[in-house]
Amino acid sequence: MRAVILDGIVLGLAYGLLGVGMTLVYGLGGVINLAYGQMVVLGAIVISLLMDDGVPTVVAALGGVLATAGVAVLLDLTLMRAVYRQRGEERTLLGLLLTLGVAFVIGGLLVSRYPAGGLYISISGEPISILGVPMARGSIWASVMALAVAAALLLFFGATTFGRGVRSVIQDEIGARLVGINPSFVRTVIFALSGALAGIVAITSSMNGPLTVNAGFELTTFALIVTVVGGLGSVAGAFLAGLLLGVVNTLSANYIGQYITSVILLGAAALTILIRPRGLLGR
Amino acid sequence: MERTESGPRRGARLAGSAGRALLPIVAAAAILAVLPSIWFEDSPYTTSLAVRALVFGAYGIGFNLIFGCTNQLFLCVGALAGIGGYSTAIFVDRTSLPIWVGIAVGTASAAIVGGLLSWIAVRRSLGIIFTGIVTLVFSLAFANLLLGRRDLTGSETGLLVTGAPAGLADDQVGAYYLFAGVVVGFLVIFRVLQLSHVGWAFRGLRDDEVAAELAGVDVARYRIYAATVGSAMIGLAGALYAYSSGFINPATYAFDFVDVRVLVLVAFGGLGTLLGPVIGAGVLAFVDEQLSARLELREVLYGVFVIAIFLFLRRGVVATVVDLFNRVVAYLRARPALRPSRE
Repeated sequence: MRAVILDGIVLGLAYGLLGVGMTLVYGLGGVINLAYGQMVVLGAIVISLLMDDGVPTVVAALGGVLATAGVAVLLDLTLMRAVYRQRGEERTLLGLLLTLGVAFVIGGLLVSRYPAGGLYISISGEPISILGVPMARGSIWASVMALAVAAALLLFFGATTFGRGVRSVIQDEIGARLVGINPSFVRTVIFALSGALAGIVAITSSMNGPLTVNAGFELTTFALIVTVVGGLGSVAGAFLAGLLLGVVNTLSANYIGQYITSVILLGAAALTILIRPRGLLGR
Repeated sequence: MERTESGPRRGARLAGSAGRALLPIVAAAAILAVLPSIWFEDSPYTTSLAVRALVFGAYGIGFNLIFGCTNQLFLCVGALAGIGGYSTAIFVDRTSLPIWVGIAVGTASAAIVGGLLSWIAVRRSLGIIFTGIVTLVFSLAFANLLLGRRDLTGSETGLLVTGAPAGLADDQVGAYYLFAGVVVGFLVIFRVLQLSHVGWAFRGLRDDEVAAELAGVDVARYRIYAATVGSAMIGLAGALYAYSSGFINPATYAFDFVDVRVLVLVAFGGLGTLLGPVIGAGVLAFVDEQLSARLELREVLYGVFVIAIFLFLRRGVVATVVDLFNRVVAYLRARPALRPSRE
């Protein structure tokens, strides 16, 4: 039981990290980035290519993060401009459809170019015992990174001037403009941050097991579930929802069955929308 | 059209406009009817491609009724078709009743599920996005159930669907005519709905929901109505497809196979238009065939299609081309009249 819950926490931190990149962009500009999973896969492929060329793992990982952030900025400066010209629901719908198209373009290109591509960062060493449960080093590293990212993001949004500026845009775009904040610049920065987070997800999830080139759709699905359950634009909500779903996932997979587990997770997302559309910690 | 009893003159006028309204459908039916004999009757392969194009055209008409006419983003076309296909196959297998009963059961199940989803969306007043997410989540849950309930669905191995009449399963030409008939039937239903008071309500609520509500249109009721009829269409097409292909598995109705194509083809043809889905299905089948050796590039091309359509051609490629054609014709006609004034 203890092992199952610890596994759930590890998985939950991974879910939270996966969801936070999507939830930030959603909260800020109302865009659900359906290409998020494909961006993670793109990061993984870049890292694995760099590592194949003999680049040290840490440098390769940095390269992957930069690459996904770059793709995100590119998206923001091109397609998303047209999206942000719309308002309200129309904006979200156009964003949804365009990023779906982007997901196909990135996914299709990657699969056709690197059909057997994937990334596995193996962390060698004996399992470390936590509360009497031996945990793989890769999982611990991934969890520590997720926690570090969560802390850094909370600090950024809570304590820095720019972070507060971002929050003001989330609250009221026009009001933020009136006090001298440029929403368009803020959105570009957050989109880049979200892209960088996709790169970090590529690193952490390939520490637990191989991340294959076809994983994009599934990653997007989980990111979407976490986003919906956690609440739009809420960093803490994403991690809370991730932890909750992660623990539920391992408990149910362990005691009930694997396919029911997926149904339970999806049901949680649907129920959240129906009962509390703004999510756990959404405004 | 239904009110032809109100005087002979009015009757004649309505009959005339009904004739004009049905003209595109008659033309489409004629083309569909002669296509095999002038093109692909002797090639089972091409015929099977044409059958699939018609099936997707039928899905597209249902989706168009739900999304194009009443703005409900139903990302569960594959799941609804799967409900039609699987419940028909399982029902006939368990009860050994005639397959037509099973198909009726499958169609009704899809209609009920679609209606329920719409009822939930309307009751909780979910916007277009949350409707999309809820139905997407429903699709994925349904796919997981198909994989999990091995005893009922055979999981990934799939189900053999036998007992179809000889002309349907073995002979692809028979299936072609069946689905051509289904598509034409759906088009007629779509047109009749468009021309009736339902069509007025659809246009009203699509243009401006609040205004429609204020003008006395019961938006909730018409949404549920459209979702039920559209889902029944999708379920029927899914059930018939199960029999014509003789085998179904989760991939037959998978989200990334069905929904994405339906979205692309309906958007290509033009949301809310009568013939859009059919034209879109035809074009997409052609593109598929050209790129059949390069599946991944096909995915890339779909992506580019989606981006280009929603970025530049919001009304659909067909409408844009027709518009362009009309403008060129108008320009050519106007030129003699313009010339003297210029000189």
